[in-house]
Amino acid sequence: MKMFASSSRSAQTPILLVCLGLLTALVGATAGLTVGRVAMVTLISLVFVIGQSTFTGNSGVMSFGHVAFMAIGAYTTAYLTIPVPLKGVLFAELPHSLRFLAHVHAPFIPAVLLSGLAALVLGLVTAPVVARLSGLQSGIATLALLVVVYNVLNSWTAVTRGSSSMIGIPRNTTTWLAFAFVVAAVIVSWAYKKSRSGLQLQASREDYWAAVASGVAVGRHRAVAWILSAFLCGVSGSLYAGFLMSFNVNAFFLSATFAFTVMIVIGGYLSLSGAVVGAVAVSVLQEFLRRLQDGEFTGGSALPAGLADLLLAAVLLIVLIKAPLGLMGVRELRLPGRRRSQRAEAAKGAAGAEGEVRAPV
Amino acid sequence: MGTATARRPSVLRMAGGGVHFDGLKAVDDVSIEVRSGQVVGLIGPNGSGKTTTLNLLSGMLRASAGTIRLDDVDLTSMSMRKRVRLGVVRTFQSGRVFARLTVLENVEAAALGSGLGRRRARALAAGIIDELGLRPDADRRAESLTAGRIRITAIARALACRPRFLLLDEPAAGQNESEAVSLIRSIRGFAQDRDCGVLLVEHDMAVVMQTCDHLHVLDSGRTVAEGAPADVRRDPRVIEIYFGKRH
Repeated sequence: MKMFASSSRSAQTPILLVCLGLLTALVGATAGLTVGRVAMVTLISLVFVIGQSTFTGNSGVMSFGHVAFMAIGAYTTAYLTIPVPLKGVLFAELPHSLRFLAHVHAPFIPAVLLSGLAALVLGLVTAPVVARLSGLQSGIATLALLVVVYNVLNSWTAVTRGSSSMIGIPRNTTTWLAFAFVVAAVIVSWAYKKSRSGLQLQASREDYWAAVASGVAVGRHRAVAWILSAFLCGVSGSLYAGFLMSFNVNAFFLSATFAFTVMIVIGGYLSLSGAVVGAVAVSVLQEFLRRLQDGEFTGGSALPAGLADLLLAAVLLIVLIKAPLGLMGVRELRLPGRRRSQRAEAAKGAAGAEGEVRAPV
Repeated sequence: MGTATARRPSVLRMAGGGVHFDGLKAVDDVSIEVRSGQVVGLIGPNGSGKTTTLNLLSGMLRASAGTIRLDDVDLTSMSMRKRVRLGVVRTFQSGRVFARLTVLENVEAAALGSGLGRRRARALAAGIIDELGLRPDADRRAESLTAGRIRITAIARALACRPRFLLLDEPAAGQNESEAVSLIRSIRGFAQDRDCGVLLVEHDMAVVMQTCDHLHVLDSGRTVAEGAPADVRRDPRVIEIYFGKRH
């Protein structure tokens, strides 16, 4: 008799998540321009939410600041991939100490990885603070990080072009490249979840003091997850820049934060599957609502502007009321047969324990 | 896993320990000592300061007065995590298991927290789970367990930290009779086989009398009696605390 759940069953989850990404990529590769664009943004969003979930899902600490890492990734990619002659024009007023930036150039894939590393450095700098916070304090601190990064990018005109657009970024992000990074993000995030650090961080998510009383260095593990998630979100920003070809700082502020938060909250912010399912479900829902608003399902008569956002907010409210931990809760995607047998096992266990008092946990 | 280890006998000692909240002395001038292999019971009515004393010893609360030492090492201002690494490990009154992790993960996380590598942590966790009879529940989430099994999981988690001193806060609460009997046997086993000192906070006097070598009685945050169980149960001050004044 096997004592513990086998690791092959545990591997179901990343495989299923990759399949969900593959489905999105196939839709993107075979459908028309508009759906292809939605699929591409979904794949990039998947990299982002997987990155954020690496921190929030394992630590239970919510963050509103991860879009700052995405911004760092996007700006780094812009600097590394805009052709050097064009950079000479765009960044004519670079400070003397940063002049070398006008001459650096890298192929796209190294640029994506370097963008992730740039975000990782910001994660490294901010980790000591984030590691000490939780609950409301953490929410405010991460939001402050977003505001600080936004204001620096918006105000440091000589380096970031301020509120003007970054232009001239070559279009390097293809559907299959974005999918490849989704696969990599799933593998990295799942490996972390199953690692020593991941398990101890999940223990602290369940009960901070009990984890400390078990010798868990909660701050250290939070910092590790924060830095890893910064890297993945930086990568998503890089892919976003390579897809849009031009962007400005407003792409990385409150509306993006709200959009990603909706995905993670609707899916379930405590599980990796929740983040992935949420990103796909919200992307599909947003596209459906956009078409509804444009009159595609109402015989061509357009509905009032803003209705799509209103309906999305309503869906978020309903999910928050009916399933506060999101569609997935803390569960991960498994094949249906396994879930049935788990339920049967749980029912058997409950029957065996009949008559005993169930404890509040 | 109840292997005896040849360790130097140790003493966990609080001298004149106290904790004051805004002038209220929750624990005042309490001196308590636990030796390797000994089971010391800490008893007293509700609000007498038992859990606060345990919080002081484990590092969850900082002492306002007195010192706490493990042999020659001063623990008084040491963090809870560092105390765990030195072998001073506690459980909580309400179990406080990692609810949405499996029983195996609960125990494994603690073994990892104590500094073991993945493979050794998994092996240690599996051994403790077997020892405490948790094997049928190993892959179940802790939130689905009964109250008694939650308490046992919490003890398993504490054992995974490889304690030299185990501070147990009402481990028999929520246990049925057979589980309580098994628990008494287990606690004696921890002390003898692992050469581990046990400080037991417990309301169930049957459990206390059958398990402890030495009793320490608190009332209103102060020590009122201590000694062998047979002597303490005859102490007039203890009788007064538990049964009221005889007129």
